[in-house]
Amino acid sequence: MSYAHHRRGGFSLRLLTGAGLVLFVIWSAAPILWLALSSVLEQRALIARPPDLSPQNLTLSNFITVIGSAAALGRGMLNSLIVALFATLASLALGAPAAYALARLSVPRASAIAFLVLATQMLPSIAIAIPLFLVISRLGLIDNLFSLGVVYLSFNLPIVIWILRNFFLGIPDGLEKAAAIDGAGVIGTFWHIVLPISLPPLGAAAVFAFVEAWNEFFFALILTRQSAQTVPLVIAAFAGQYQTVFGQMMAAALISVVPVILLAVLFRDWIVRGFADGMMKG
Amino acid sequence: MPSPATYEQRRQTAGLFLLAPSIVVLLAILGYPIVESLLLAFQKVQLAAGGIDRQFVGLANFQRLVADETFRRALLNTLYFAAAEVVLVVLIAFAIALLLNHPFGRAGLFRILLVVPWAIAPVANAVLWKWILNANYGVLNGLLQSLGIIDVYQVWLGTPVSALNFLLLVDVWKSVPFVALLLLAGLQRVPSVLYKAAYMDGASRLQTLMHVTLPSMRAAIAVAVVLQTIWSLRIFDLVFVLTRGGPADATVLLNFLAYRVTFNFLDIGYGAAIANVIFVMTILLAILYIRLVRPAGEAAR
Amino acid sequence: MSPSPSSTPLAIELRGVAKTFGSVPVCRDVDLAIAAGEFVTLLGPSGCGKTTTLNMVAGLEDCTSGDILLAGRRVNELSPVERDVAMVFQNYALYPHMTVAQNIGFTLRMRGTPRAEIDRRVKDVTTALELSHVVDRLPAQLSGGQQQRVAIGRAIVREPRIFLFDEPFSNLDAALRVKMRAEVKQLHRRLGVTSLFVTHDQEEAMSISDRIAVMNRGRVEQFGTPEEIYARPATRYVASFIGNPQIELLSGIVEAHEGGPVVRIGSELVRLASSLNTPAGRSVDIGVRPEHVRLGSGTLAGRVRLVQPVGPSSHVVIEWDGGSLIAAQPGFCRLQPGEPIRAEISAADVMVFDHASGVRLSQGMPRAN
Ligand SMILES: Nc1ncnc2c1ncn2[C@@H]1O[C@H](COP(=O)(O)OP(=O)(O)OP(=O)(O)O)[C@@H](O)[C@H]1O
Ligand SMILES: [Mg+2]
Repeated sequence: MSYAHHRRGGFSLRLLTGAGLVLFVIWSAAPILWLALSSVLEQRALIARPPDLSPQNLTLSNFITVIGSAAALGRGMLNSLIVALFATLASLALGAPAAYALARLSVPRASAIAFLVLATQMLPSIAIAIPLFLVISRLGLIDNLFSLGVVYLSFNLPIVIWILRNFFLGIPDGLEKAAAIDGAGVIGTFWHIVLPISLPPLGAAAVFAFVEAWNEFFFALILTRQSAQTVPLVIAAFAGQYQTVFGQMMAAALISVVPVILLAVLFRDWIVRGFADGMMKG
Repeated sequence: MPSPATYEQRRQTAGLFLLAPSIVVLLAILGYPIVESLLLAFQKVQLAAGGIDRQFVGLANFQRLVADETFRRALLNTLYFAAAEVVLVVLIAFAIALLLNHPFGRAGLFRILLVVPWAIAPVANAVLWKWILNANYGVLNGLLQSLGIIDVYQVWLGTPVSALNFLLLVDVWKSVPFVALLLLAGLQRVPSVLYKAAYMDGASRLQTLMHVTLPSMRAAIAVAVVLQTIWSLRIFDLVFVLTRGGPADATVLLNFLAYRVTFNFLDIGYGAAIANVIFVMTILLAILYIRLVRPAGEAAR
Repeated sequence: MSPSPSSTPLAIELRGVAKTFGSVPVCRDVDLAIAAGEFVTLLGPSGCGKTTTLNMVAGLEDCTSGDILLAGRRVNELSPVERDVAMVFQNYALYPHMTVAQNIGFTLRMRGTPRAEIDRRVKDVTTALELSHVVDRLPAQLSGGQQQRVAIGRAIVREPRIFLFDEPFSNLDAALRVKMRAEVKQLHRRLGVTSLFVTHDQEEAMSISDRIAVMNRGRVEQFGTPEEIYARPATRYVASFIGNPQIELLSGIVEAHEGGPVVRIGSELVRLASSLNTPAGRSVDIGVRPEHVRLGSGTLAGRVRLVQPVGPSSHVVIEWDGGSLIAAQPGFCRLQPGEPIRAEISAADVMVFDHASGVRLSQGMPRAN
């Protein structure tokens, strides 16, 4: 039996694998499908016992109502977009050079610094939330998109540095030496050589930073009141207020997660390579 | 005209310049709060009109912890939650990683299914599951009743034990895919010559799994365990949306307790003391994580 | 081309250059003086410090001590750009995201050369290197030989003062290697730019260089023309490193004998040149190039242990009680293992090295003219 053939295994193994994969698909997809389905069903269909899935109950009215009535959702999405974009771009702009320095520019005690940086990301949010809240309220920056963005920046920066540093460590040093011989300075080498060959991990880091900032709830809850509320807060509030209008609740939740799901799906290969691999090594 | 500098000197100087902004930002935003949080835990803090009144009280906050029934409850809840979650997540994720590493599991759909739950906001996830678990109209009730598994609709989040376990289930669902990605990355890093050699040596599949796969995956599994533990200690959004800690504080986890004490009861010093407990637990785990990944990192340099 | 008298300053000079990584010495006391227009090769086994030496000349690595001079000027504190050197790297180090034309033009771009001139010079270089039809491809879409040429194109496009080559052909197959060797040699003849070339392949070094510096564990053991290195190795190490098949070294004690000194190797005596001024009783190592061992008749009696035909000649290993030798015989050799055989070695051909220091004591072969 050839090795390739062996890898697929005998009949029972293939059956087991097939069954396992079907289970996996159901387990992962069912809740998401139900989210999508609930959002396009009439309320009366949803509160039937069991739910009535017949096609005549399909409707877009949940979306229309949610988009039309809940101005908070639109503002939340916009706020989230602004904060997430800021946190993403700023963390890449600061983190990529820092990662390059830690990976390749013989900064003294670079790996110790890198670990300390990563360790800050592991801090429980609650531990820093209290003093951060005190400081930000003293500065009068509660309910302010900028202060929220800066806080997210500080959470994203360590991850961005970590992902990119792991990638930069693997760049063959001949490239940088060739660039130096060709007349590029340190910054020129970084800009013309290192960054262009690092697009996949930069993309992974960007998607990661964006998704984290878009989804963050705890600090948004503490640091915003009204005008700077981000979309998770809107959804949570919505779920509290209209907890019996299930279709609309799901429609709102779906709208709020679509942007990040699209990003994650589009860039899944980069995420897998850039992030999963990066967490496994130091 | 800059003073002459060699390649190595220029790189070192540039390195410090490139690194400095990030370090400054991290120190400015996180450095102060960390120190402050440690200090707050030893203080009694009261919100007086227009200001904050702070007073050192030594270990008083920590002494309160020892006597506090709710804290003890939350600590036990958290330990149970974290331990159960780690075991479940790593086992399920490992099984999924094995499935996806099989030639059948290569299809793109499977990778998509792994990243989607990761991308969904914890709050949206909580809202979704609140609906799925709804006592009157939830699809879980509907499904189980149609299948004849239950007679009447259940209040899944209504009794302490059931509520905590459903909270666990929901978080496991959300956490599994990412850990599966980590473990899949680890699996794909096992050199295929090892498998080929095991095949040549006539090892059975189980033997190959036990003697080739698992030993090569030890580091990856260890990292997944530690990271998942750290993530489990951070749960907040889910509790906040799904149960608010109820019923009867059955789902109060440490993080949520610290939030409630601080921001609802405005007992800031005591909240900080609880936060410090989580802080210490996490730091210990973080050190463990660093120990685990470090040898690989040093070798790579 | 032979080293010119030092009326013009030396193109490259290393004075007592040393390099340590942490506490590990990698280069020790390297002295090299390379005249303008010369083609010099650093030859040595893997890990002996060749790349490190080249990097120090390029300015990619600081030296721990010693001085590096280019055209008579001390450059220790200068960066690679200021030294104006071009380099071809061991694994080419082509920029993977740039096309062939962009790779070659990058150095001009970094120097602020106007667009039109960059295009013109890149075109000249790609034409000369027969790369015109692949200028818009990425390095990953090129064959090994083409990548190699791009790396060379990148070095010659800006007419530098010095060329540095770090094992540029080590990733090519044997046939291509010989071809590229000839091309580089021709390029050197055409441009006349001082070149420092690194390789661990002695044949490559012999065929391409004006002079060769043989390195061993971070030191230059000998610096001379290929002929000097081969015929008059300064040390035992150089003698055994150069030559194919490798020379067999035999240890013994010098004895006085009627008609001159001899060394006893087991049951046999090997005569040494009478000019060798060495007291009896000294511990020495002797070696004989295989082509200097004549088989058939002679004073040395042994048996054939092994016969290896290598095409144009055959290598015959002869052994006797306590020693062995390799002889090279032209053509196919019909000797059978185990067969008794006699061999003759001319005393002048025996290289004698001090056993303790490894330094050569004999004069070696006379200059072949
Ligand atoms: N950055 C470094 N840190 C520590 N040791 C190093 C470093 N670079 C090289 N070395 C060591 O220095 C020695 C010489 O290295 P070098 O690269 O100069 O060898 P080389 O002669 O070019 O070998 P090769 O033919 O394999 O390329 C080696 O033993 C190597 O391990
Ligand atoms: Mg080398």
